[in-house]
Amino acid sequence: MTVIRTRNLAKSFSVRVGTRGAFSLRSLLRPEIRLVEAVKGIDLTVEEGESVAFLGPNGAGKSTTIKMMTGILYPSSGTIDVLGFDPQRDRKRLGFLIGSVFGQKSQLWYHLPPRDSFRLLGAIYEIEPRELAKRTGELVERFGLADLMDIPVRKLSLGQRIRCEIAASLLHRPRLLFLDEPTIGLDVVVKQEIRALLDEWNREGKVTIFLTSHDVGDVEKLCRRAILIHHGTILLDESVKSLKRRAGQRKIVGVRYESPTAIDIPGLEAEKRTPDAAKFFVDSGAGDLQNLIRRLVNLGPVADLTVEDEPLENLIADLYRTGSKEEADELVNR
Amino acid sequence: MNWLTAKRRKYGSSAEVAIRNRWAYPGDFLGLVITYGLFVFVFSRIWIAAYSGRAEIVGYDRSMATWYFIVAELVVFSSGNHFWSFAREIRDGQVAYSLGRPYGFLAYQYAQKMGLALTQWVPFAAIGGLIGTAMAGPLRFSAAQLPVFVLSFLLAASLQYLIQACLAMTAFWLEENSAFYWIYSKISLVLGTLMPLEFLPLPLMRATLFTPFPYVTYVPARIAVAWEPGRAWALVGGQVAWTVAVGLLAAAIFSRGVRKTTIHGG
Repeated sequence: MTVIRTRNLAKSFSVRVGTRGAFSLRSLLRPEIRLVEAVKGIDLTVEEGESVAFLGPNGAGKSTTIKMMTGILYPSSGTIDVLGFDPQRDRKRLGFLIGSVFGQKSQLWYHLPPRDSFRLLGAIYEIEPRELAKRTGELVERFGLADLMDIPVRKLSLGQRIRCEIAASLLHRPRLLFLDEPTIGLDVVVKQEIRALLDEWNREGKVTIFLTSHDVGDVEKLCRRAILIHHGTILLDESVKSLKRRAGQRKIVGVRYESPTAIDIPGLEAEKRTPDAAKFFVDSGAGDLQNLIRRLVNLGPVADLTVEDEPLENLIADLYRTGSKEEADELVNR
Repeated sequence: MNWLTAKRRKYGSSAEVAIRNRWAYPGDFLGLVITYGLFVFVFSRIWIAAYSGRAEIVGYDRSMATWYFIVAELVVFSSGNHFWSFAREIRDGQVAYSLGRPYGFLAYQYAQKMGLALTQWVPFAAIGGLIGTAMAGPLRFSAAQLPVFVLSFLLAASLQYLIQACLAMTAFWLEENSAFYWIYSKISLVLGTLMPLEFLPLPLMRATLFTPFPYVTYVPARIAVAWEPGRAWALVGGQVAWTVAVGLLAAAIFSRGVRKTTIHGG
């Protein structure tokens, strides 16, 4: 079943342009208005059970798109269908079926223990008290919240709070969960825990995940599909597995010699270099890798040699630097 | 769960959580209570000076004028000042995070503010009652006044919330809207809070009754200090009419304004 379908979705904002000088009669009477096109005609479809990473650099239009999908912002043009509803017209009804976690915005009451917020959310989502107690118990157990439920939120660590936030967002059993930077500011261990919990919830078929994050780890560990948006348009839409494979076609070869060595490889520039070490990027195909290793070994006694896949993060960063779909296609198919 | 039970639980819980959140730190509230006490004390002294050599002014003796101010300010302090936080939430886009939930945004906010008003009046009334009794003698209040006064207080707090919400929601269109609130608070201070409307010139008093300002503070304060059943019910009727009118206006502003929601840095 299709859970999200957008057609030609666009959003533009009018921004008043500041003029020089403390008082400007012209800016008062005829202010200069600039139209900012945050999202320009997005077409996308997400099926039930998918886990989708919605990626893009700052200002690409991803949060604006998510907020239109949740009914918070009104599109300038185009259509959105989320779980069979028009999010703007049926915002309240849709609210019962979707959940959202915004890493930088808490839905828990700061001075109260999470239990109070859970009770309030239960009432907001019209869950029967007995059913609410049952669901709360399940989530407390699954997310390991038993010791946290009666401590005021302000006394919880960020990781503990985010665990409570995510559990709270699942209380009404949403079919679609929007996650906006859910692991921002968390340490490595807590990030892994959060990702594992969300992945488990998604794989059990309980929820479709639509995630935005600048953390490539979230994408790799949690999502099976990546959509990249830049300048308000979709540049790329493909599986995370395939993106990783493409990133892996470029290798990082590191070499360290036992003593300072002139590391000169004709036709190949080192990315990093010290007197006794260097790092090269090379394509794994067409014998380039073999050639490079052979030539490096021939330069002198090698203390260490490493060959790694190029991180997915590098490919994503390169994609962010492209300006059009054609350039992005060219980059991933290089 | 039937519709009514669901709504009662939804908005009742939001009021309850707001109350618990407020009283998690009772100390935070102390500053406001002291400010209120200071206002009451200063105005009690002013009325002592104003009434020197006079038994009454336009039907109000010194005790009535003092208690009038205490009750009028009780309404203002208890119902709270949420214009700033409301306007700020709209301006920085935080309001958007509430919009994705299945509740009426204005009703949800109203439940919280009324929940607070229904508990906050207690410390204000205690300090105001003590200072008022010491400076002007006890308030002459009969049992018959109580239900009308309570109704009037609830309507006043509701109207106060709705007016502030309307003013705050201009932030959907305007970057800077604090002037509206400044003007509103100053006008309402003069028209019914500092002193009874009867103290104003007659034409101004009559004209004022066609505005919402006196229905926030004048009506409950007047009912508390100068009990006339017929007049009291007529004034409460005015409160109902203004509450409905401003409520409809708030709903209209919200439904138009929500389309203008922007999220900075989104």
